[in-house]
Amino acid sequence: MMRTVSSGVVFLILYLALITPFTTYLKNKPFVEKLGYVPSVTALKAVAADFKELVAASLVLKVLMYFGGLVDEAPNQVAVPPDYMSMSRLLHGAVKLDPYNMDAYYFAQSFLTWDVKQFKLANDLLDYGMKYRTWDWQLPFFAGFNSAYFLKDYAAAARYYKRAGELSGSDLSRLLAGRYMQESGQTELAIVYLFAMEKGERNPALKKSYQLRLAAFRVTRRIELARDRYRETRGAIPKTVEQLVTGGFLSPPPVDPYGGKFYLEVDGKVATTSKYAFAGVKNNRTKKAGEIDERH
Amino acid sequence: MTTIIGITLKGIFRDRVFQGIMVTACAFLLIPVIASLSMRQVTELSLTLSLSLISFILLLLAVFLGGTSLWKDIERRYTFSVLGLPISRQSYMIGRFGGVALFVLLAAAVLGAAAFAVVTYSSAIYPPDRPIVWSTMALCILFDALKYILLIAVAFLFSTVSTSFFLPVFGAIATFLVGGVTQQVYEFINSPASKTLSPFVKQIAIGLYYILPNFGAFDLKVNAIYSLPLHLNGLFLTAAYFIAYVGLLLSVAAVIFARREMR
Amino acid sequence: MNAIEIKGLCKHFPGKRMTKVDALKGLDLTIEAGEVFGFLGPNGAGKSTTIKLVMGLLRPTSGSASIIGMDASLAESRRHVGYLPENPAFYDYLSAEEYIAFVGSQFKIGAALLAQRSEEVLHRLDLWEARKRPMRGYSKGMVQRVGVAQALVHDPEVYILDEPMSGLDPIGRALVKDIILDLKKRGKCVFFSTHITDDVEKVCDRVGVIVKGSLVALDRVENILRSGVEGYIIHLQLPETESLSFAGIEALRRTDSVSEFYVPCSAFNAFMGEVNRTGTKVVLVETKRRDLEDFFLSLVHTGQES
Repeated sequence: MMRTVSSGVVFLILYLALITPFTTYLKNKPFVEKLGYVPSVTALKAVAADFKELVAASLVLKVLMYFGGLVDEAPNQVAVPPDYMSMSRLLHGAVKLDPYNMDAYYFAQSFLTWDVKQFKLANDLLDYGMKYRTWDWQLPFFAGFNSAYFLKDYAAAARYYKRAGELSGSDLSRLLAGRYMQESGQTELAIVYLFAMEKGERNPALKKSYQLRLAAFRVTRRIELARDRYRETRGAIPKTVEQLVTGGFLSPPPVDPYGGKFYLEVDGKVATTSKYAFAGVKNNRTKKAGEIDERH
Repeated sequence: MTTIIGITLKGIFRDRVFQGIMVTACAFLLIPVIASLSMRQVTELSLTLSLSLISFILLLLAVFLGGTSLWKDIERRYTFSVLGLPISRQSYMIGRFGGVALFVLLAAAVLGAAAFAVVTYSSAIYPPDRPIVWSTMALCILFDALKYILLIAVAFLFSTVSTSFFLPVFGAIATFLVGGVTQQVYEFINSPASKTLSPFVKQIAIGLYYILPNFGAFDLKVNAIYSLPLHLNGLFLTAAYFIAYVGLLLSVAAVIFARREMR
Repeated sequence: MNAIEIKGLCKHFPGKRMTKVDALKGLDLTIEAGEVFGFLGPNGAGKSTTIKLVMGLLRPTSGSASIIGMDASLAESRRHVGYLPENPAFYDYLSAEEYIAFVGSQFKIGAALLAQRSEEVLHRLDLWEARKRPMRGYSKGMVQRVGVAQALVHDPEVYILDEPMSGLDPIGRALVKDIILDLKKRGKCVFFSTHITDDVEKVCDRVGVIVKGSLVALDRVENILRSGVEGYIIHLQLPETESLSFAGIEALRRTDSVSEFYVPCSAFNAFMGEVNRTGTKVVLVETKRRDLEDFFLSLVHTGQES
């Protein structure tokens, strides 16, 4: 009896000694490992049997948890760039298993466009989803915005917006379709789009990123308006943002929430060194790393 | 036969299988929490999780109850005493099957009620874009149960030829996996992508397609989760297929079991 | 109508390496209604195989078995049989009472009669106290008694009991012996297997001995006992001078004035003639015979040598 108890105590001590390094090890595992490797979708489909929807949902949740963890841990830091490649691969696998999974489309298009700049890939994914979610106005709504804002393909955008408008029965898409189908309306288009997205968002990590981006675009819009007033009163395009501030056109001075610095391009277009992403600042500093490594 | 069904049900309940299900069903309580992680489809996710949980529990029941029911009777020598009564082997086996099948239906009904509660709760907090079609969800669970009853019949067939529980249990699991992909394989064989396959392999694959059970038709999860319309015609065909296939399996099993030696 | 008829019954089992084992070689046996038949044989002789064939649990390789004129392969043939399997096992999640009720329902006894019979047999087999407990908590002897109870509950005409005494304590054995004698009195047919000769000697009308799948003896118990008489022990009152030998036979021993002599059957008449002639007083005559056990053992030995 004594022996059993004492050996039990030994094992308990061993367990307690191990548990901290063990959890630390798991916590610090590389992100690729954390996201996991997705075997070929065909194989997954076979093994998933009639749990395809569950497997798809678990893939999406995995990506979400991973992403949420990064955003929460370091809201303004670029400690580790998210592994967008793996995220995209997982989400693509998820919609192969369950072509109706809205979370996968929604999340994939959101980072594929803003962060990874894979606009074509995002719209292909949305097109695939539209074949299944035939009732859903959101997919063409996203695709329309991508076409107009990123791809500058206004014909395609109009087509998407028309479909979104028909499906939703609301004016939002039709409004977007008419008013912003031109280069000059880009910022307003983004603001309206982001505002709608932010309002509908429940995931705190994503909501935060929308709010940030929305704030940045609102500042951009403020600068644009100041620039236009400057041109009206002075009859010329201002050269710098500082000109607008000192001239009393812009108050208070603009602050980029991404930590970048606003400037005016030669044609008067408002831009920022952050490129509306945290990684933009870093890229400017380090002058390397491809787009795929960018982060908010 | 009805008394055998009754005795079987009694045995399953007394073996605390139902309590086991209830413990597993505690996972239902977690579903609203997990589902709220979803960005755009909380209700859909809670439906996915609920239906998958039901499916999983029913799968376990089908494999283990179906695979061990006859085996246990033979292994524990219950067959000597029971088959010494004026009861035919056929009605004994069908009674055993009926008991397990009835239990699976019962479990599906109880778990279905739990799923209903969970989904109602989730959809009240986060209203879905599209209204939930409760009848589709009920049909989804019913057809899920039918699929597992078919699997039980497969396990019984394996039980009649086997002296251990390995063949019925693993045979049922293998059948479950294979039955889920037969349709995919068939479609692949009939697509241009399969040009490289030899005609012999194709013939075998097509032959297997007609012999092996096809579980694809029983899966209405997507319809239930995303409120997609059901094809009534298809459902009737699936139900008829179920009756024919189970009847065939049980007939073969009954013939083998009737000829089996009780040593 | 005969209770049980077995005609040319053969059973082969597949053995190791494609060989086959002859468990039963052409058994012919007829058990009449109302008789108690003891089926005697060493372990592995084919007793259980025979019973399982009669109960339809095994299929004969050739030959046939029938109960009250109905072929053993039909479920209906078991309608009038109370069967106790060897080392029985019953659904252990049920209580004895529930199991008895289940068996009764299979024989389609009416509910009221079933309740009455169930109470009777549970009392008779001393299971009344334990009747509500699940059988998984029963001792081996209790399960065996449940086995006897479930064979009795529907009051059939024919009883087929495979080793009914095994696993029982002396009280249980006496009880089962009693029950069989009672059935005999009521004109029921009892066919039971055993390897214990004593059981047979006390209760059976007839006995069959099976060794290595063949019936080596089949006779009435009293015939066997009679044929086993080898001689007599005769106690004579003799004067001391003649006490050591009489009619050429030496005394086994002498106490007081009584001498004991062992007289083989062959010398019995001559010996008794001498007793008559001399007018000697006979105190006691005992039969000296081989009992069933010796009979059985000699059969088994000759059977196994062949």
